[in-house]
Amino acid sequence: MAINVATVQEVESTDSVVSSRFGWLRAFRRPLTLTGVIIVAIFCVLAIIGPFIAPYDPSSVSKATLQPPSPEHWLGTTQTGQDILSQMLYGTQVSMIVGVLAAVFATVLSVVVGLAAGYLGGISDEILSLLANIFLVIPALPLTVILAAYLPKTGSFGIILVISITGWAWGARVLRAQTLSLRKRDFVEAARATGERTTSIIFRDIFPNQVAVIAASFLGTVTGAILTQASLAFLGLTNVTEWSWGTILYWAQVSSALLTGSWWWFVPAGAAIALLGTGLSLVNFGIDEFINPRLRQAGIGTRKAQRAQVRPTRLKAPRRSRREARASVSGGRTGDVILQINGLEVDYVGEGSTTKAVNDVTLTLRRGEVLGIAGESGSGKSTLAHAITRLHKPPAWISAGEMLYQRDDGTVVDILTMGDEELRRFRWEELAIVFQSAMHALNPILSIGKQIEDAITAHRPSMSASERAARVLELLDLVGIQTDRAGAYPHELSGGMRQRAMIAVGLALDPEIIVMDEPTTALDVVIQRQIVEKIIELKDRLGFSVIFITHDLSLLIEMSDTIAVMYAGRVVELADAKEFYRNPRHPYSRGLLGSFPTLSGPKRELAGIPGSPPDLRHPPSGCAFNPRCPLAFDRCTVVVPPLFALSGEAEWRQAEAACLLYEGGGTVPDRASVHETDERLIEEAR
Amino acid sequence: MRVLLRRGFFYLITAWAAISLNFLLPRIMPGDPADALIEKFHGKLTPAAVQALRVLFGQGHASLWQQYVDYWHNVFTGDFGISYAYYPTPVSDVLGQSIGWTLVLISVCTVLGFVIGTGLGMIVGWKRGSWLDSLIPITTLLSSIPYFWFAICVVLLFAIVLHWFPLSGGYAVTETIGFNWGFISSAVYYAALPALTIVVASIGGWLIGMRNMMITTLSEDYVKLAEAKGLPKRRVMFTYAARNAMLPSFSSFAMSLGFVVGGSIVTEVVFNYPGIGTVLFKAAQAQDYPLMQGIFLVITVTVLVANMLADLAYVFLDPRTREG
Repeated sequence: MAINVATVQEVESTDSVVSSRFGWLRAFRRPLTLTGVIIVAIFCVLAIIGPFIAPYDPSSVSKATLQPPSPEHWLGTTQTGQDILSQMLYGTQVSMIVGVLAAVFATVLSVVVGLAAGYLGGISDEILSLLANIFLVIPALPLTVILAAYLPKTGSFGIILVISITGWAWGARVLRAQTLSLRKRDFVEAARATGERTTSIIFRDIFPNQVAVIAASFLGTVTGAILTQASLAFLGLTNVTEWSWGTILYWAQVSSALLTGSWWWFVPAGAAIALLGTGLSLVNFGIDEFINPRLRQAGIGTRKAQRAQVRPTRLKAPRRSRREARASVSGGRTGDVILQINGLEVDYVGEGSTTKAVNDVTLTLRRGEVLGIAGESGSGKSTLAHAITRLHKPPAWISAGEMLYQRDDGTVVDILTMGDEELRRFRWEELAIVFQSAMHALNPILSIGKQIEDAITAHRPSMSASERAARVLELLDLVGIQTDRAGAYPHELSGGMRQRAMIAVGLALDPEIIVMDEPTTALDVVIQRQIVEKIIELKDRLGFSVIFITHDLSLLIEMSDTIAVMYAGRVVELADAKEFYRNPRHPYSRGLLGSFPTLSGPKRELAGIPGSPPDLRHPPSGCAFNPRCPLAFDRCTVVVPPLFALSGEAEWRQAEAACLLYEGGGTVPDRASVHETDERLIEEAR
Repeated sequence: MRVLLRRGFFYLITAWAAISLNFLLPRIMPGDPADALIEKFHGKLTPAAVQALRVLFGQGHASLWQQYVDYWHNVFTGDFGISYAYYPTPVSDVLGQSIGWTLVLISVCTVLGFVIGTGLGMIVGWKRGSWLDSLIPITTLLSSIPYFWFAICVVLLFAIVLHWFPLSGGYAVTETIGFNWGFISSAVYYAALPALTIVVASIGGWLIGMRNMMITTLSEDYVKLAEAKGLPKRRVMFTYAARNAMLPSFSSFAMSLGFVVGGSIVTEVVFNYPGIGTVLFKAAQAQDYPLMQGIFLVITVTVLVANMLADLAYVFLDPRTREG
């Protein structure tokens, strides 16, 4: 239902709120936000000192009637000779007081209702939510008009009351959703487990995390309250002898200022409302961008990265010599190379700095090969998957490299230099991608049949509707989905079925390559197994090549022909899967495989690798793995090791590792000698 | 369907709450508006009218419950009493003459504002990071301007300085109201400035909301996948990004609608448009409580109906709501 969708958006946005309670202050550094802050601050100052600096009494009449702006009357005079500047200065105070006080009351009300409803849940939540929703749907202004008309004209206080009564509901709803999601967070659960009192949990643990949201809601209500006050005053429903921006407009209207052409009478008041409203909105955008990181990202480094996307051809030339060297070492079984990636670099452009997420990656994919890419999160494997399909979005951009694709007829094209239309036709026809979460990768508002069909429609315009429908059914059957489910929407399918549907979408045009980015991670083990078997079966039947990306090394070894291990954006080891399993060479690969061979003494199991992945913004000098490497020596902090060719069995490709242990032309140590080296190094260290 | 039933039930409760509030307000408000009003008319009211007024303010002899039952009876028979601002015309007649003008003006303008604003928001969000982003401060300014003030500026420029459009009113007095070309063209001509005001003032809010949702949606996997599928850009933008991005806009329609209606009502006053807003203004000036209450009821019920239509459209747009 309608309301739930908005709630989900609100809930999703809370992550960053928790991560840094006062980080939102940083938002003020953006120029637009700063402009907003300055505008609001000026109005606040005017509201305080306005009556003291006003040159005239705003109500005193004079003979200078309907004067346009002049040195005596900067903003001109009214029909009765009152000074409009003085009225504006007095009015700023009243309008601001009404706006701020009404917003304070409304916000307090919405915080109380929102927190209570969200935290208490159950029947109190039902009732409070219903109340908020009712107040949201009832049009506020007519209600306010009636309330204001009934109230004896007590001046501003009545108006403040009326506005806060009609203005609290939206904030309450947002805060309720926030509280609901916060309530399930660990730190709140922990507080409850330790027996903290409910009120103290609400005010110590939940409230501080919502400061940004409450501030946004408060500022929005100030704008609304000032507008409402102005409308009510303009309609003559407030005390018309008390100067506010709305009252000025009221007198201008009843005195037909418009017909006499005295624009100076009504322009300043409206402009002030608009300016203050803009200032408040700009501050709110700053807060919005803080709450919703995706909005913030849209602004950072976008220009540069987008320009780079528009002109993909202007890249640094890859290091030819290295590629040739590579070609000569790739021995073993010779298959047709279908995709050759050379010296690929992907940067994240930040404010003032760039981060290399993929660094000088060179990979070869042959027809029918399953190339597994392994690595921890942050190793650049997903960025690589996106770059291969050119799906990376600003702030990411490809700064160097080439990706040569060999078509069936033997012609070679560089994917990175394709124009928009060429790329569009290339995509899916030749290269498809399957994402980690089918739940997120399938369009929730289209049936799965339609999502398969539209790929066909886009690439095979000559196909008739009935041919397309037949193909859809064929594909569903191929991946093991009952064909009568073609009209089902993604949310109507189970997790495993969705992933199968995802694969069916991927196979729609019989692509040559399928990139699979953690396609089974979100599934439970049993379903995972079914999907992997299905992928292998389909690969054997249809003969496509697969780039399979996962952090699950055992799965990878089982299903891949060759394996590439990534660390800090670089490929650190490349080998046949069998050879890799039998004899991992790079110290990081060994860590990944779970246990290091012991050097001396009793055998011991190591659970993972000590330390954490490097911060790519400040990578360690030399080999990125050196701070965590048990075998690191002095030169490791100086030299970035290239891939060294290794000996050993090779069916698909000769093993390579980027580690200085294997340095030295041709002297490629096998396992035993590695141990010797290790021992020697350990000795030296002692 | 269960979703629709639930929403329908919610609207029934809301309507009940609004109508009951309408009943309660005169009874709980301080002071004695009835006496003030009777005083004002200096005995010009018929005894029946005085009696009706006392009943409105709960000063009759019936029990509160009986008053409540009578009140509901009156609501369903459209008997809202006599208007004092337009004495002695019944409130229902005053409403009947003005509601049509407002309904046509506001519904056309709201839909136009939504379509234009959401459409522009879609484009600005799609081309994020381009020069289009510089539109945002401008639209922010536009959406912060009070409707009625913008209306005054529009009148000054287009009616008084340029003489392109009439100053005020709903149609040329030379035309007779009815389904004839002269009247309709005249009504459209007179509605141009109010419509311009409402559409321009409401675009900003939709635009910014849609832009932000568009940006959020564009980083969804399904949009990336659509791009990876090599679909034409237009299909990615409309069917994948925009169709999903506009869903929250639709669900916040409820709140925005009340806001737009409120703004439009005040706008009518500036143009002296023969709609319900001008009537409300006159009613407020004359402290015509029966008329104000009638207007509040009519507006609330209309907004509720509009919300239900928006919910129906939502169910049409989002298959996830169709079951369960």
